[in-house]
Amino acid sequence: MNWADLNLVPVMPEIFLISALSVILLLDLFISDAKRGITYGLSLLTLAGTAALQVYTFEPYAQYTLSNMFVADPLASLVKLAMYGATAMILVYSRQYAADRDMFKGEFFTLALFALFGMNVMVSASHFLSLYMGLELLSLSLYALIALQRDSVPATEAAMKYFVLGALASGLLLYGMSMVYGATGTLEIAAIAKSIHGGSANQLLLVFGLVFLVAGLAFKLGAVPFHMWIPDVYQGSPTAITLMIGAAPKLAAFVFIFRILVQGLDGLTGDWQSMLAIMAVLSMAIGNITAIAQTNLKRMLAYSTISHMGFLLLGLLAGNEQGYSSALFYAVTYVLTTLASFGVIMALSRAGFECDKLEDLKGLNSRNSWYAALMLLTMFSLAGIPPLVGFYAKFAVIKAIVDIGLVKLAVFAVAMSLIGAFYYLRVVKHMYFDEVQDTSPIVVRGDMQLVLSLNALALLVLGVLPERLIEICVEAMKQSLTVL
Amino acid sequence: MDMKSLYLLIALAPLAGSLIAGLFGWAIGRRASHVVTILGVAVSAVLSLKVLSGFISGQTEVFNGSVYTWLTVGGHEYAVGFLVDKLTAMMMVVVSCVSLMVHIYTIGYMQEDPGYQRFFSYISLFTFSMLMLVMSNNFIQLFFGWEAVGLVSYLLIGFWFKRPTATFANLKAFLVNRVGDFGFLLGIGLVLAHFGGSLNYNDVFAAAPALANKTIQIFPGVEWSLMTVTCILLFVGAMGKSAQFPLHVWLPDSMEGPTPISALIHAATMVTAGLFMVSRMSPLFEMSDTALNFVMISGTITALFMGFLGIVQNDIKKVVAYSTLSQLGYMTVALGASAYSAAMFHVMTHAFFKALLFLGAGSVIMGMHHDQDMRNMGGLRKYMPITWITSLIGSLALIGTPFFSGFYSKDSIIEAVAASHLPFAGVAYWALIIGVFVTAFYSFRMYFLVFHGKERWMENHGAHHGHDDDHDDEEPSTDHHHGLGPNDKPHESPWVVTLPLLALAIPSVLIGFFAIEPLLFGDFFKGAITIDALKHPGMHELAEEFHGPVAMAVHALSTLPFWLALSGVVVAWFFYLKAPQIPAAIKQQFSAVHKVLENKYYLDDLYFNLFAKGARALGTLFWKVGDMLLIDGLMVNGTAKLVGVFSRLTRKLQTGFIYSYATTMIIGVLGLMTLWFAGIILR
Amino acid sequence: MSFPTVVFYVLSAILIFAGLRVITAKNPVHAALYLVLAFFTSAGHWLLLESEFLAISLVLVYVGAVMVLFLFVVMMLDINFEKLREGFWKNAPLAGTVGLIMVGEMVLILMSPEASLGSYKGAAPLAADASNIRELGRLIYTTYLWPFELAAVVLLVGMVAAIALTMRKRKDTKFVNPGDQVVVRRDDRVRLVKMAAVKRSEPVAEAESADQQA
Repeated sequence: MNWADLNLVPVMPEIFLISALSVILLLDLFISDAKRGITYGLSLLTLAGTAALQVYTFEPYAQYTLSNMFVADPLASLVKLAMYGATAMILVYSRQYAADRDMFKGEFFTLALFALFGMNVMVSASHFLSLYMGLELLSLSLYALIALQRDSVPATEAAMKYFVLGALASGLLLYGMSMVYGATGTLEIAAIAKSIHGGSANQLLLVFGLVFLVAGLAFKLGAVPFHMWIPDVYQGSPTAITLMIGAAPKLAAFVFIFRILVQGLDGLTGDWQSMLAIMAVLSMAIGNITAIAQTNLKRMLAYSTISHMGFLLLGLLAGNEQGYSSALFYAVTYVLTTLASFGVIMALSRAGFECDKLEDLKGLNSRNSWYAALMLLTMFSLAGIPPLVGFYAKFAVIKAIVDIGLVKLAVFAVAMSLIGAFYYLRVVKHMYFDEVQDTSPIVVRGDMQLVLSLNALALLVLGVLPERLIEICVEAMKQSLTVL
Repeated sequence: MDMKSLYLLIALAPLAGSLIAGLFGWAIGRRASHVVTILGVAVSAVLSLKVLSGFISGQTEVFNGSVYTWLTVGGHEYAVGFLVDKLTAMMMVVVSCVSLMVHIYTIGYMQEDPGYQRFFSYISLFTFSMLMLVMSNNFIQLFFGWEAVGLVSYLLIGFWFKRPTATFANLKAFLVNRVGDFGFLLGIGLVLAHFGGSLNYNDVFAAAPALANKTIQIFPGVEWSLMTVTCILLFVGAMGKSAQFPLHVWLPDSMEGPTPISALIHAATMVTAGLFMVSRMSPLFEMSDTALNFVMISGTITALFMGFLGIVQNDIKKVVAYSTLSQLGYMTVALGASAYSAAMFHVMTHAFFKALLFLGAGSVIMGMHHDQDMRNMGGLRKYMPITWITSLIGSLALIGTPFFSGFYSKDSIIEAVAASHLPFAGVAYWALIIGVFVTAFYSFRMYFLVFHGKERWMENHGAHHGHDDDHDDEEPSTDHHHGLGPNDKPHESPWVVTLPLLALAIPSVLIGFFAIEPLLFGDFFKGAITIDALKHPGMHELAEEFHGPVAMAVHALSTLPFWLALSGVVVAWFFYLKAPQIPAAIKQQFSAVHKVLENKYYLDDLYFNLFAKGARALGTLFWKVGDMLLIDGLMVNGTAKLVGVFSRLTRKLQTGFIYSYATTMIIGVLGLMTLWFAGIILR
Repeated sequence: MSFPTVVFYVLSAILIFAGLRVITAKNPVHAALYLVLAFFTSAGHWLLLESEFLAISLVLVYVGAVMVLFLFVVMMLDINFEKLREGFWKNAPLAGTVGLIMVGEMVLILMSPEASLGSYKGAAPLAADASNIRELGRLIYTTYLWPFELAAVVLLVGMVAAIALTMRKRKDTKFVNPGDQVVVRRDDRVRLVKMAAVKRSEPVAEAESADQQA
């Protein structure tokens, strides 16, 4: 490689992000706890700057750089922008929450930005090595974030579980990657695809590697049977961190899977399709059914995540452009919904009180009808009730798999969503039809109130007018698929 | 302005008025509400007239295009689209003009009603729906308009929703229409399934000739002609909407609604939607003689037997209502005789003179302080001169007096049926001829009872008071609305009421004379209505005998229908002015017949006992066995129990220990590996 | 059988034995030492593959840093390993079965003719003066620049995380800051209170309030 060939323009957002991050890291040392708002503001500014650069450097085709290890294509740009937005929203939502829990420190912001940087790397990786580095960067930041509340026993336990199981999953993933390397002799995704299509790769080794790859990927996504960490980690972590685990990383994981399975192992579609189908069925069943038995709101949402990831896998396993773009749409809207639901939980929590039990929501409507309405929107969207966006997302995915003839799978998915609707609606019932138990006032910062309201209303607006976003998803997917 | 936006404006202007009056009526007040709705409808009316004149002068082209794609499912595109040809243009003019008159009339009629704004909102909404229905270029939008007018009709019949009779009537209208709509929907389903998968009229008509001899099996082993089944099912829809036997029972009851509604919806426009639809579908109906025969039978029964019922009614609105039923029957018979243009011609003339009659009746009712019983009226011509004259014009038009509009359309229908070669045409012809006498008789019975003779409100009021309670105005505070007291005098209605009467009287007299030649025997409907001239040459034969409207009218003086009509008038005069004791004697003598008529052939009782009670019994059965036992007991609670057990089980798996989680993961990998390499491993 | 093959099998045998002992050894220090042995033998494998630099770094990083740290932890924390191992024999059958099946399946798959591992030829031997380190360096700073930089970021995250998780100010500490002691002034510590010469009628209350002021 020649330095003159080095095209850093597509990497500008990442370079800016990591530079600004380093500056924040240093500056924060000289800021006292009372003035931590400066770090908060700088972090938001960094996100805004990165997003601006992302838009500025956008090109409607795939750009490869850094020895073909980095790719900037429309899919990456779209997902990155969504992740910037999600991270910014999380920071806004968790400001008061973190301050109340002695977590409002510099590390909170820097680690969140590190995690974002890791996701950026994952999303833009066109090489197994950079994929893996991004994944580790993300995971490491998340482990630390969960454990940030050192004196909390559940948080420490959650961090430990996530760490150990994450390491195991990383091992599986690496093992799978090495098998693929053995079979094709390369780690570059495009080259792998070429080698498989050329027929020079050892099929048996490939499929053998695929099993491990899928296992590792499924762990990240939280698909059954690699889902066990999700409920414990979601419940144990402080809600702000739960949101960091549950929102943007799902998008990154989606692209991660897309890059490996679709762009890299395109020649093995038949194999991974069935693997994903098995996991999707199990996820939807176990996620939805177990969620019913939960009394903890966060744990319930964790199981709901598992079932939603099953749905996401459905879109992926359709194996065509329609399926991928529907899955992308599903991921984006799911993240938006998750942000709103956990946002409301954080808004209702206060110093010394976590609003994480189902009964904490009882009679919310009479305490504060606006938050009850916002929660109602998110629950309806998660349950997939029209005209909220969750309905369109489910509809698009189901349509994609019906179109390829997997009608039984589609029927199963619909049946599972129906079961799922039960526990979402139970939340609504608690909010609207039960007696108030907790009458303490709900105090929320103005900026959070605004962002949260917009977030929840977006679910409705996107549900009524989903075409634009669907078009964007389809367009992004089209570009990423023509690369093949 | 291009045609597309012009048509959009025509349809949407009333909707805008309706929304403003409906949503903000409480804020903008009564005056602004009626101004805004009348403005909307006036825009439609003026533009519709412009469109029609464009068609007549030949400047306007047939428009067929979609305006907005509503949704795309699996390659089928469902769009909102307009098909505007001469047939549509004529209907648009009829709908918007009559609607405009009714809007103006309503200002006077509903003056004291607390639901003033709501009423205006409804009737504007109706106008919008009806325009969407007639302007549609596909079945989906047709069905939308179809259901929307049904909905507004339901709302308006039950406008005075505190009256139990009104809510009963609107429920009845709704349920009976459901039966028709079910057939209609099945028909549309057949069209979708067999006519190339498109629901656009043009595509369907293009696909139809190839399917003329196609048969389908509904019950195994029985082959039915696709075209016949489709047409009959579509016509079942028309039977509901246009109140044809046996689905006519809702229309008389719908008179519970305010009178302007009866004029607009239940006489002039909505009830003709079914007829319009059949005319629109003429390319399909032309292919099935069986279906046409079916149409004709239904129309004949309605035309004759509903006319009989008009004779025994005492409520002024009921008389007009039965007359409407009977006239709708005439139109339906015309459809059956392939005389679509004659049917549409009668639709148009009937819209004007029947609206006139209804509004006249409404004016009378206002004059009588909301007393609707004709036995309490009499001699009103002195007090309400404009109403009197216009009602006379309406009645003359209705019975088919030569040179009046009703004459041309009705006579054409009778002639067309005479020229038809369908097996049932002979019976139909004689039924219609008898119908002419009956029509003349009940129309002038009403006319004489109301406007001539003794001023009976002074003497009879007390005696019939109890009978009228049903028709009293809703408000408890307005007790004086119970009819005229012995010392009150009826008074002429305000100008907002009489103006529409005068405006409607003009076309009632003239339009037939001027429109018959182009509409029936010219090529006005060419392209919009298809007639298979080889199989159904009736209209062509008629055209050959036609020598201008004047000659037709003069010739009519020597034909049977004219003399029958005249004798009907004379008999009515004799019975009700000259010798009022005769009808009472007849009633005595033929009490059995009278009783049958009074009970409307016992159809209501039959339907109520058979269908309503039967359906309830069936419903109870389904509820007990299906819902309570199967669904609630086994499905819902059973599933819930099963799910509960399962979810407790999976919760147990979640032990909380890392090593058990890790084990699960490893076993997961192992499982995947085993599944994929079972072949290799076992070898 | 050539000499390298013999060495390979010997090293592998030691590696497997060491790995088993890591799990089965009763004394945690012994287990850690067996792990060190396992690393050394793996390093031997690297050497066989002519990757001297990797062999050295494996020893330096894992043996020199990770395992030493681990031994420290084991010795500093008085963990009752007996208690930790209580469930061992109870779960051993299941774990053993799963493990054995896993190994069996992997062996069957990789040994099956379809895997055709035999077709993989070893890399061509390097020239005698070829430098591993130079090659690695060249690649790291050119082709693999991006992952290399990322690795740096991962280390940075590790540092941040470690500091965030471990650095804490204890509130009950008896630590004295000499700087504070030096800059202290008399006014901070002593306050002179003027007392009235004549006793008033409520001497007790007066004295109390004076006490409080002092």
